[in-house]
Amino acid sequence: MQVKWFSICDRNRCFFSIFCAVFTVALLASASWAGSNDSGKLTVYVVNYPLQYFAERIGGEHVKVVFPAPADVDPAYWVPDVKTISDYQQADLILLNGAGYARWINKATLPRFRMINTSAGFKGQYIEAPGILTHSHGSEGEHAHESLAFTTWIDFNLAARQAKAIAEALGRKRPELKDAFQKNYQKLKQDLLKLDQDLKTLVSKDPSQPLVVSHPVYDYFARRYGLDIKSVHWEPDEIPTNEQMMELNRILKKHPAKWLIWEGKPMKESAERLQAIGTDSLVFHPCANTPDKGDFLSVMRQNIKNLNPAFKIDF
Amino acid sequence: MIDSLNIAWKYIRFNKVKTATLVACITLISFLPMALELILDESEKQLMSRAVSTPLVIGAKGSALDLVMNTLYFDDEVPELITMESAHRVMDSKLAQPIPLYVRFQARRNPIVGTTLDYFDFRNLRIAEGRQLAILGDCVLGARVAESLGLRPGDSLVTSPETLFDLAGVYPLKMKVVGVLTKSHTSDDLSVFVDLKTAWVIQGLGHGHEDVTKLQDPTLVLKRSGKNVAATAKLYQHTEITEKNIDAFHFHGDLSQYPLTAVLAVPRDDKSGTILRGRYLKREQTRQVVRPADVIDGLLQNIFRIKNVLDAVISVVALATILAIILVFALSLRLRQREIQTIFKLGCRRATIVQLMAAEIFIIAIMSAVFCGALIWMVNQFSNDLVRMLFIR
Repeated sequence: MQVKWFSICDRNRCFFSIFCAVFTVALLASASWAGSNDSGKLTVYVVNYPLQYFAERIGGEHVKVVFPAPADVDPAYWVPDVKTISDYQQADLILLNGAGYARWINKATLPRFRMINTSAGFKGQYIEAPGILTHSHGSEGEHAHESLAFTTWIDFNLAARQAKAIAEALGRKRPELKDAFQKNYQKLKQDLLKLDQDLKTLVSKDPSQPLVVSHPVYDYFARRYGLDIKSVHWEPDEIPTNEQMMELNRILKKHPAKWLIWEGKPMKESAERLQAIGTDSLVFHPCANTPDKGDFLSVMRQNIKNLNPAFKIDF
Repeated sequence: MIDSLNIAWKYIRFNKVKTATLVACITLISFLPMALELILDESEKQLMSRAVSTPLVIGAKGSALDLVMNTLYFDDEVPELITMESAHRVMDSKLAQPIPLYVRFQARRNPIVGTTLDYFDFRNLRIAEGRQLAILGDCVLGARVAESLGLRPGDSLVTSPETLFDLAGVYPLKMKVVGVLTKSHTSDDLSVFVDLKTAWVIQGLGHGHEDVTKLQDPTLVLKRSGKNVAATAKLYQHTEITEKNIDAFHFHGDLSQYPLTAVLAVPRDDKSGTILRGRYLKREQTRQVVRPADVIDGLLQNIFRIKNVLDAVISVVALATILAIILVFALSLRLRQREIQTIFKLGCRRATIVQLMAAEIFIIAIMSAVFCGALIWMVNQFSNDLVRMLFIR
């Protein structure tokens, strides 16, 4: 009798185990199905924040955009580790800024034909960084390390063209979603061209206004909006040294700028030292990395607002 | 029957030399055509399977066979070079996906294949150990290269100089082995894969050295003018790419003018492939596009023509051998006339005598078949290598 009771108990336990196993398998299957739905999204890796923003706006829910650079680095000079390069290799698309941005790309092995140079369409309009020193050795003759200005996206017209390249690349990858991508791109284009127009209107108030910029990253911006700029090499989180102040004074003698444009909010002492020589500070954040607050558009709108006093507009 | 076999076996054992000669003749005459067939089948299989799976190859005008053999089987014969621009042109046409290849250099007698990651997807090559290529200076080994050189991920492999006496040439590059591929039983197993850019570094087109604009040692500077610094030959160039010096590595000029040996073009569909081929038909074109299957088919036709001649020779030799064997048996019967008479007088029927002779022939045939089978098995085992040695590499 005892044996029989145990055997019934064992059978129940057995049924319970089978039920649990079937239930677990069903759960795992549904989870993996949900996962595969998620993985049905295009995985897009980018090299800077503006491209992330554009790809997210255009791709919407159909893409998963990954920008793996840490928030506290300049993505132009960031070098990913092997694991991150391997992640880039797995992406469906890799969006590059072009114009020599993110030099690590030339030293990494990436799937060449999944890489999209978003600025390839205006290659002829790249700006060469001035003052390149050539060198020669061996039998190769004289050569220079190519150095191009790369902050293309703060010329909002070029930014719109980069966005167009993204929309086309996504459309090629998912032809069935081409119309949706185009629709999203048109909305983004409108936003970018609105910024472009706002800046043009702003600068037209005083187009001859001389300006100094804290870093040589405003070349495309200056060219598009007709700004007269000279560049120094100052960091917002460092107080300018006496040599740097002397260099600025030399520049100001020939280029009487009343405003210095910073990439980020300068230290109070830096602003005071500048004020002492009659130069005010304003911030135009190129937004190469993910902003602490807001998004690309809101940062750029704020940038334009920041420029207002320089062009004598009171809002 | 067993008795007849037993007596025949005793006779054969007694006449060792005669038996060995007969067995050798029959073995060879059966083995030769079968082995030839086997090797040709294997060569056809190897050559064609890879050729058929490669839709189009674009290269410089010249020998199509050299181009295909270098591109598909990484043959030593380097075809005329083309530039990276050819790959961009295919890409821009949107008709096919280009996979650039630069197969020119060697590392310890194994070809170095400079390519992009797309090649691994195209050939369905997977990493068995380690990781995929990631940074400049990495290399991934084919399964048999890793086996023969005893290398594993983490080891290093030095490139071989192109010519031994090129003292002013480029320094060999010490590459880092980062992965080993799974066996594919193709030429990929016998190759060392690097990124295209690493191949250009091996050639010296990309290189790493101190920042010449900041040189302190005056013996390193030949001339310093306003916009140019000329360094002397003493300037040290890195022969290994490490985390510390990778930033010093750079390429000069337009990468689209950098050399390639070929571009594999994978058309979107048949129509795209035909349109693409049409674009390379103009006489002034310096590039050619070939279908590897056509080129290899032409090569195989030549091989088969030679095979037909060999078959004819073997048939004549086989006929002569069979006649010689019949003669041997006829003479042997005449020599054994007294022995046969004795057996007959002992009371054996004529049928028994015929049975005895048949048993002898049967044993000799079986022995020949066993030897022939063993030889064929051996050829079959090594046919892959044999074909590579004879036809591919």
